[in-house]
Formats: sequence, structure tokens, C-alpha cells
Amino acid sequence: MSDEHRDGEHPTVGTYVRVALVLSVVTALEVGVIYVRQLAPIIVPLLLAMSAAKFALVALFFMHLRYDSRVLTLLFAGPLVLASGLAVALTTLTGAFLVFGR
Amino acid sequence: MSAPSSGRVLHGHPSALPGVETTATVLGWLTTVDHKRIGILYGVTGFAFFLLGGLEALLIRLQLAVPHNTVVSAHAFNALFTMHGTTMIFLAIMPFNAAFFNYMVPLLIGARDVAFPRLNALSYWIFLAGGLLLNASLLAGTPPDVGWFGYANLTSKHYAPGPGVDFWILSLQILGVSSVIAAINFIVTILNMRAPGMTMMRMPVFVWMTLVVQFLIALAFPPITVGLIFLMFDRFFGTHFYDVAAGADLHLWQHLFWIFGHPEVYILILPAFGIVSEVLPTFARKPLFGAPVVIYSGVLIGFFGFGVWSHHMFAAGMGPVADSAFSIATMLISIPTGVKIFNWLATLWGGTIRTTAAFHFAVGLVGLFTIGGLSGIMHASPPVDLQQTDSYFVVAHLHYVLIGGSLFGLFAGAYYWWPKITGRLLGERLGRLQFWVLFAGFNLAFFPQHYLGALGMPRRIYTYPADAGWTAGNFASTIGAFGIGVSVFLFMVNAWRSLRRGAPAPADPWDGRTLEWRTSSPPPAHDFDTIPPVYGRDSYWREKYGPRRGPAAGATPPSSGAAAGIHAAVHLPAPSHWPIVVALGMVLAAVGALTHVSIVLLGVLLTVWGIFRFALEHHRTTAHTDQTGVLGLDHRKMAMWVFLGSECFFFGTLVATYLAYKGRSVVGPEPHQILNIPITTLSTFDLLMSSLLMVLALAAVQRGDHRQARLWLFGTALFGLVFLGFQAYEFTEFVHRGFTLQQNLFGSTFFVLTGLHGTHVAIGVLWLLSLWVLALRGRLGVADAVKVEIAGLYWHFVDVVWIAIFTLVYLIP
Repeated sequence: MSDEHRDGEHPTVGTYVRVALVLSVVTALEVGVIYVRQLAPIIVPLLLAMSAAKFALVALFFMHLRYDSRVLTLLFAGPLVLASGLAVALTTLTGAFLVFGR
Repeated sequence: MSAPSSGRVLHGHPSALPGVETTATVLGWLTTVDHKRIGILYGVTGFAFFLLGGLEALLIRLQLAVPHNTVVSAHAFNALFTMHGTTMIFLAIMPFNAAFFNYMVPLLIGARDVAFPRLNALSYWIFLAGGLLLNASLLAGTPPDVGWFGYANLTSKHYAPGPGVDFWILSLQILGVSSVIAAINFIVTILNMRAPGMTMMRMPVFVWMTLVVQFLIALAFPPITVGLIFLMFDRFFGTHFYDVAAGADLHLWQHLFWIFGHPEVYILILPAFGIVSEVLPTFARKPLFGAPVVIYSGVLIGFFGFGVWSHHMFAAGMGPVADSAFSIATMLISIPTGVKIFNWLATLWGGTIRTTAAFHFAVGLVGLFTIGGLSGIMHASPPVDLQQTDSYFVVAHLHYVLIGGSLFGLFAGAYYWWPKITGRLLGERLGRLQFWVLFAGFNLAFFPQHYLGALGMPRRIYTYPADAGWTAGNFASTIGAFGIGVSVFLFMVNAWRSLRRGAPAPADPWDGRTLEWRTSSPPPAHDFDTIPPVYGRDSYWREKYGPRRGPAAGATPPSSGAAAGIHAAVHLPAPSHWPIVVALGMVLAAVGALTHVSIVLLGVLLTVWGIFRFALEHHRTTAHTDQTGVLGLDHRKMAMWVFLGSECFFFGTLVATYLAYKGRSVVGPEPHQILNIPITTLSTFDLLMSSLLMVLALAAVQRGDHRQARLWLFGTALFGLVFLGFQAYEFTEFVHRGFTLQQNLFGSTFFVLTGLHGTHVAIGVLWLLSLWVLALRGRLGVADAVKVEIAGLYWHFVDVVWIAIFTLVYLIP
């Protein structure tokens, strides 16, 4: 019935520290890339990708979604995806982010 | 035998023991946490508000009965339709639904109560506080008069200078809190508290519809909450969210309102669909035709419900692409709705029908909702909608949905479950008479309004000329409205007679199919003597008439040791007065917002104190330690994840608004001129590292290392405080440089977004410090790890939200 801890995995303190290290490095990279003029054409997707990666790392490891029941993943990921879709639609409809024009 | 401060544990066979809350004292009702009593409270309160909303409707109809009428003034008319709409939606239909959720869902899934009984009581008292606050505006002589939709900028200080809109905003915020708390509670209850063998697809359709509705509430209320926060800031603090002169877009309110408002239609109607799906099979003596399809249709309606909001805005000029997209989505949503209609008809086909009052109302819904649904499909076409929008055609449509659908369904439920709730039968003849009076009155009231709309009569006008050709239709409509009033009076007479001298109801008066009929009428405090076995869909029917197919995997035979354990100790939660204290604190803060800031502070202090006492009330109660449910998950952990899902919508709306308004300020400064990226990078790093400390704290609590637990908990809180210090420095610096909330659109969106995130951090710090104090006092053991875990989940969520804000607000050019 329960798959509270998938495959019996448990994160260790070492895992947590490594994740924190990666988060720090990616944060430094995020700040660094905005000053690199050559990256200007791809800066927005690049920043969004790095931000999404950090988001995923915290959710998967610190919030234990990687190890916990899939029900919990569904309860969070479902609304997250829906909310992201609504946010894109809202910015599109108000004209700030025109995906398909008026 | 009992532990008064920590819940009631009944030993021995429960049927031999007195119910826990059978004494009808005022204190008993004020402190009740029994789902059945809370259900009754919702029902009675909702009915009182329903009468008030009905009275407002009758005044509206009296005014419109003849041309140039002078029963009420134009201003009073505006207030009447505003209060009528808001009352019927938030204070009547929603609480009627909540009454059935509360009373019936635990019985239908074979549970003894909801997952969080005290939270359930809190939801009710907050709802009552919100309802009373809204209606206090009538006593204050300043009711809101901007429509239940409150379109900006009618709600601005310029156009609505009095406190009426403030009453409206604050009441809706309070009611929203109540609804979201209840939604989280019921999602966890339904997913995690089902009786053994009650798989998801064996759940009654009413429970399924309840589940869909709770997700809709949890996810649709945050956008309107954000919209109301913006409005509150505009009115109280002079921000510019709905200020066109500052570059704002008034469509923002319409979007936020209808992102909530359209799912709200399904929040109102799906429970009625669920009720009908229980009533029709019972009185046709047939299983629901294609029950899984009815369930999938309900889920699809809920899902599509989030993608059709802009069909309420076709007249706003969104452009052909958006109009087409929302038109297609709206047409699509009619498919699962239509499927249900055919399933109900097929259920009746060939059935051995008993035409009880409940059956009458259920069939009434099928017919009348179909009419409302068909006029709804007409609105899906933008060119047609442009002709009908803001006309009486729309008034007819929405009442066919909400009375023909919701109210008829609710009356079906009332007649069906009344014997279970009260232990007495309602008069069937009077019930059928009430149905026919309601059916005739309703159709007389609202069918002519289709024609009035087609003839061009606009909504919300308080009078009309004699030569417009609308006189006969309006007069008929008024007569019909009074017919509805008579039918409601007949229901009251029936209820009164039933309670006074109604025939006693047996446990199973209708030869029912679901688990609630397996227990006495009314049920004992503990619902079931033993957790009922579940043999399949319509389990009680199978139990009575077979085939049972044997107990499902996990079902507990009544004679087993586990069942004997149920006999030996049934834990029932103790009454609590903290829910009412918290609700009082909230309404006091709201009253303060309308009067004086000192009362706000008093209200906030009372709320925070109440929450602390609420949280610690059962900290050491052994029966509360293990809250693992049927999914093998702790109720509290599940609840936190559902809450975080809801928070995704809250912050998603805030961030989307920031992005929508980016670059639209008519005066400076612009973000790149003011934001300090190096300082914010430091605060971001600090918050990220606080998450590391949080997981270390949890790991320490889980392994029973008290010293490290104290260290890391305090460290996390300290890092949180440092983050807040950075934010205070940033805000102060901005204000010194002349960049404030009121400076421009950027200022309004920036400060509200980051400020609300900061508020979340502050709440997290308070939570962590409370845990730290418990740890210092040696009251945070391994058994309390889940409490640290849910605090941690909240903390990490605050962290991930900041990850998004840092990128979207600070880094992206």
C-alpha cells in the first residue's frame, strides 16, 4: 500500500551537503552569467534553466520528493504545473508575454 | 475511560457506550469537533444566510415587477444584487455543500471523523465570522454595491469611497481562508482515511465529486486571494494595481476573478452532481450507469474548469486568438457534463423507480441543469456571447445552473439524508408539493428572463421604461420568485414538523447502497461500531443482496484481532475552544482594518496566541502521535503538501502579475536602476544554506540527537532572521531613495511580492523558534519528527519560491 520511502533509499548528510554545494555554485553562476555580454541572446532561457535546476534540487532532496511517496509528488507537481501554465497564460493575456499575439 | 484533555478513548464495544457529544449545551456546540455536528452547524448557518439572500432577491424582484417602480432606490438596488450574489454563492450554496461534505463524507468512506477535526471546527467558525462581517455592512449602513464580481475600478476609492467594499474584501478573504483549510482537510480525509477495501474507484460518486471540489477550492481560491490583496493594498495603502493612470491593466482583476470564478461554478455544482449520482441509483434500484465514466467526467470538468475562465471576458476585447482558445475549451467542457446527463438517464432506464421527494428533486436537476447547460454552450461562441453578455439572458442561464442545478441537487440531498442526520423522516407528500411549487416558481421566475435578455434588457438596472416590452416578463418573473419563496417556506414547515413529530427513521429507510445506511439514524458519535468492510462499489447493497465477491484486500473481517482492537479503543477527539478563539482573532483583525489599527494588532495577537495554543493542545497526546492513514502517509505531511500545492497558485499569481506589469510603469525607477544584485545574492545564499540546516535538524530529530536538533533548528531560524534582516535593509534603502509601494507599478508589484514572501519567512522563523523552544524543554522527541518535517517542508518551499523570485525579479533583465 505504502511507498513512503521508495526503494528504501534515505538521503545522507553527505548528500545534503553536496546538494547545498551545487546550489551555491549554480547561484554564483546565475549571477556571473548576467555580466557576460556574449550570453545576452540566451540569457533568459539560461537563467530559467538554472533556476529550475535549483528548484528541482531543493524539492527532490531537501523536500525528499525523490525518496517519498509518489502521491506527494503528484499533490505538489500537479498544482505546480497548472499554476505555471496559468502564470504563462495570464502574462500572455495581459500582453506582457505574447506567445501568439493578438 | 476517558482523557478529557486529550480526546475521548472509548473502551469496550462502542455501541454499549454513550455518545461523546450528545449533550446539546451551548458550550458543547461551541467547542464541538464532531464532523456531524459541524455539518449541522454549516447547514443551519447556511440556511439562515440563504433566507437573507432570498429576502434580498425578493426585494430585487419586487422593484422590477413593474416599470418605474420605487420600492428601493438605485443605490439600494446595487447593494441588494451585490449582497444577494455574494451571500448565495459564499454563504448559502457553499456552506450547504460543506454541510453534506462534513456530515456524509466520513460516513461514506467508513471513517470515524475527518483527518483534522479541530481544523474542521476552525473552518466553520472562520466561515461564520466572515459571513457575519459581510452582513455587518448592512447594519453599518454601508453594504458593498459593486456586484459580486467587484470589477475594478468600480471598487477603487474614487468610485467606492465608503467602507462597503472594504467589508466585502475582508469578508471574502476570511471566507477564503475557511474554504482552503476545509479543502486541505477533506483531501487528506478522502485520500488517507478510507476504510480498508475502499479503493478510489469504489468510492461513492459524491465522495469523488467532493474530492474534485476540494482541489478546485485549494487551487482556485489563491488567485482571487491575491486579487483581493491587490485591491486591499490599492484602497488602504495607495498602490497602483488597478490604477490605469499608473499604467495598470483593469483586465488583471477580471482575469484573477474569473480564474477563481469559473472553477467556483464547478465548486457549486459538482457536489449536487454527486448527490444526484447517489439518489438516482437508490430510487431506481439500479447501479449508477457507467459510474467510472461519471467519475472521470467529474475529474475532467474540474481540470478543464481551470482553462475556460476568459469566456466570461469575451466582451473585454482579448483578441481573436484568445477568444478562439477559450471558446474551444468551453465547448470541450460541455462534453463531460453532457456525459453525466446521459448516464443519469440511463440509470433510470429500466429501473424500479420510487418517486420519493428526493427523487423528484434529483430528476428536476437533470432537466433544469440541462437547460442551463445548453444556454451555457451558447455563451461559448464569442459572437453569440457578445449579444447576450450583461443581459438578462445571462441571469437566466446562471440561475438555471445554480438553482436548477445546485439548489435542486441540494434539496435532493436534504430529503435523502435528512433521516440519517435527524433520525426522523420528512413528510413525503409535503416534500413533493414543495418540489412542484419550486419547479413551477423557478421556471416562471427565470425562463422569461431568457426572452427579456433577448429583447435587450440589461442586467443590474434598477428600473425600466413602460414601453420597452419587458413588463410582462418581469411581472411573471416576480410572481415566480415569490413561488420559490413559498416552496422554501414549505420546506421549513416540513422540517419543523419532522423535528417535532416526524416518524422515526430506521437506519436504512431507502434501502440504500452506501455505507452511511449501515449505521444508526442518527449515527453514534463514533459513526460505526466497527469499521465497515467494503465489498466493492455500492458496498452496503452488495452486503445486503450480494454478490459480495468477498472482502477486498485489506478489509478487516469483523471477528479479527484488528477489529477487536477497534472495539477495544475508539479514539474520539476532545472538544476544543481554540478554533473559535482563532476565528475571533481573525474577525477582530478585520474589524480593526475597518476601524483602528490598535484593534488589528489585538486581533493578530489573539490569532497568533490561539494558533499557538491550538498547535500545542495535543502535543503530548499519545493518540495523536501516529496519524498514518491508508496510503501509509502521515495526515499532517499530506496536508502540508496539499497546502504547498495551493501556495504554488498563490505565488504563481503574484509572480505573473509582477511580470505582466514589468515595464509598464509610467514613472521611474525601473528595476535595473534600483535593485542591488550583490546584496540579494548574499541573502539568497543565506536562505539556501538555511535549507541545509533544516534538513540537518530533521535528521537529528529523527535519530534522537537532541543537542544537534537544538543547534540546527536554532541555526535555521537564525539564517531566516538574517534573510529578513537583508530584506529590511533593502526595503529601508529603497524608501530612502524614494522608491516606495506608491511610487509606481513596479514599486507596488515588487514590494507586495517580496513582502508577502518575507511574511512567509517570518512565519517560518516563528514556527522554527517554537520547535526550538520545545527542543530546549526536552519536548521534541523522535515521535515528533513529523512536526519538524512539515515545518521543514514549509521552510524549503519558502526557499524554492525565493529561487524563482531571485531569477525572475532580480536577474532577468
